[in-house]
Amino acid sequence: MSDQPILSMRNATKRYQSGDSVISALDGISLDIMPGELVGIFGPSGSGKSTMLLIAGLLEPPTGGEVLIGGERVSWPDAELDHLRNFRRQHIGFVFQKANLIPYLTALENVAIALEIDDVPPKPAHAYAAELLRNLDLAHRIDNRPRKLSGGEQQRVSIARAIANDPYLILADEPTAALDSVRGRQVMELFRRIATERRAAVVVVTHDHRSEDLFDRTIELADGKIVELKGGVNKPAVPVNCAVSHRSCLPGG
Amino acid sequence: MNLGVKDIRFNLTRFLLTSAGVGVLIMAAIGMLGLYRGIVFDALLIIDHVGADLWVVQGGRAGPFAEGSAISSTMDRRVEGLPGVMEVRRFVQTNQQFEFQGRSLRATLTGLDYPKDTGNWITLVRGRGLTTGHFEAIADASVDVDIGDVIRLGQDDYTIVGITRGMVDSLGDGLLFVTVNDATKIAERRTGEEVLLSRAKTGVQRAAAGDGSSVPQDSKIAAVLVSLDPAADPARIMSMILHWGDANVLSRTNEEDLLLNKRLWRLRVQILAFCAVLLVVMTIVISLIIYMMTIEKLHQIAMLKLIGARNSVIISLIVQQAALIGVGGFGMGVGLAYVIFPYFPRRVVLAPDDLAMMFVAVAVISGLASLIGIFRAMKVHAQEVLS
Repeated sequence: MSDQPILSMRNATKRYQSGDSVISALDGISLDIMPGELVGIFGPSGSGKSTMLLIAGLLEPPTGGEVLIGGERVSWPDAELDHLRNFRRQHIGFVFQKANLIPYLTALENVAIALEIDDVPPKPAHAYAAELLRNLDLAHRIDNRPRKLSGGEQQRVSIARAIANDPYLILADEPTAALDSVRGRQVMELFRRIATERRAAVVVVTHDHRSEDLFDRTIELADGKIVELKGGVNKPAVPVNCAVSHRSCLPGG
Repeated sequence: MNLGVKDIRFNLTRFLLTSAGVGVLIMAAIGMLGLYRGIVFDALLIIDHVGADLWVVQGGRAGPFAEGSAISSTMDRRVEGLPGVMEVRRFVQTNQQFEFQGRSLRATLTGLDYPKDTGNWITLVRGRGLTTGHFEAIADASVDVDIGDVIRLGQDDYTIVGITRGMVDSLGDGLLFVTVNDATKIAERRTGEEVLLSRAKTGVQRAAAGDGSSVPQDSKIAAVLVSLDPAADPARIMSMILHWGDANVLSRTNEEDLLLNKRLWRLRVQILAFCAVLLVVMTIVISLIIYMMTIEKLHQIAMLKLIGARNSVIISLIVQQAALIGVGGFGMGVGLAYVIFPYFPRRVVLAPDDLAMMFVAVAVISGLASLIGIFRAMKVHAQEVLS
């Protein structure tokens, strides 16, 4: 998979009917995102950033064009996306502005649930979740419920949950918007690590230009179109490193 | 990972309060059913316990429980002479209100045909049965008198010698057993004014009535209880008694049918209707609870769908919580019923079969309620996590 893009959008369009007028949220976007690449999507409100993420994440079908993930055509106009839940579980991780943790589960359980849903038995799921949290400096918070965690800690737990199933595509929508600059930087560095060490394609929608140096590429959107592309050279890929947690390092993985 | 149980453990107080609310509703439904059973039990108490095969009552009437009945005071001797009749007893039952220690008490006066019937079929919780033909009484605890108490009935004093528990008539009044002769005497009591008016109307003088009274007296004997030889043919004996013309005869089954399907029919239907209404209310309340619990979790459900949870994970979450609320509510309802209903003035029978039936009803209701929650949860889209 290293030679082919993980995410490809081909002329992706999204139009909404609003009364008598048609609003074009996304207007023929085409892009490829490679393994190990961290891509930033910038743009003002209403530029189509979040719509692009919804379409790339198979949460909404485009009204035109198509989406390929790992070379497989998975979304097109009127595609029944609910049937792609298994695909989403195994191949896409999501991080949002709000951590969206389940309040009655501990940090460990919030991560392990993603694995158990993917039929990993509870014991190895908990062991791997604990390892992920340790690698994100949350060893001391493993048994805490979300309300006991700070905003940054909650976001790191949500990142651990997003990468638990070793997805090769991670989509993040304003993941640092609710964090201060220090915590925001830490989270962006985490995405950089994930892209580099796990060979995942990471797409981050953000307003925050302070961490722009960490991106391999940045894409500027306006009115549903790509108006500017910066970068394009991937950082050097590194092999899977069990020291920084990878599900393939699980017994039998 | 059992999400349903983890959520409940996290919100334990709310779960307990919800279950308690459902439990009170279930207790009320159990109580209605128990009240129904209690009324049937009380109505059949005398018929089942007194041990009569046939009841001879006033001709053309269906007494003594469904209609008034007054038969000749010598009817028992006529019945006793029939072939196949092993034993006869006279039966009197009237409602009585009397004053005792400044309190107004109610009882259903029931005559025992002493000495043939000393009341050995009555289960005493304290004291003894009747040992003399006059002025002794056995009272049910619900009458609110005790052993040794002396109560005034008619123009005589009666000493309480035995106490029963749960011996009441179909209206819930406690039974007060005296001899038939005493019961008749108490029932025949007239005021002085009543006697004077009666004499003036008929123009007769003292002893003119032929029974030692200057006032004509209706018989107070309501029925003759007949026990048959084991080899006797009840249909033949009933036929013979019916040919007399002045008497009607009812089997134990007839009496039960008259009580349950005639006299108490409307009451029974009314209680069962209330029970049905409660079950409907219970269905609505449990459905609403499950629906609201689902609505509260829509964001989590969207999140679960986003991370790829199968529908079975979400359905299991809703069904588990509905089942736990149902089981928890049922447990609390039954527990409360056992604690509270013994203090109710009327008998509430908690029959295992009824409780099992109620459990099935609660299971079905919880199942229906969870369907509503599941239906709503299935309409949630993963992207709603962004809302």
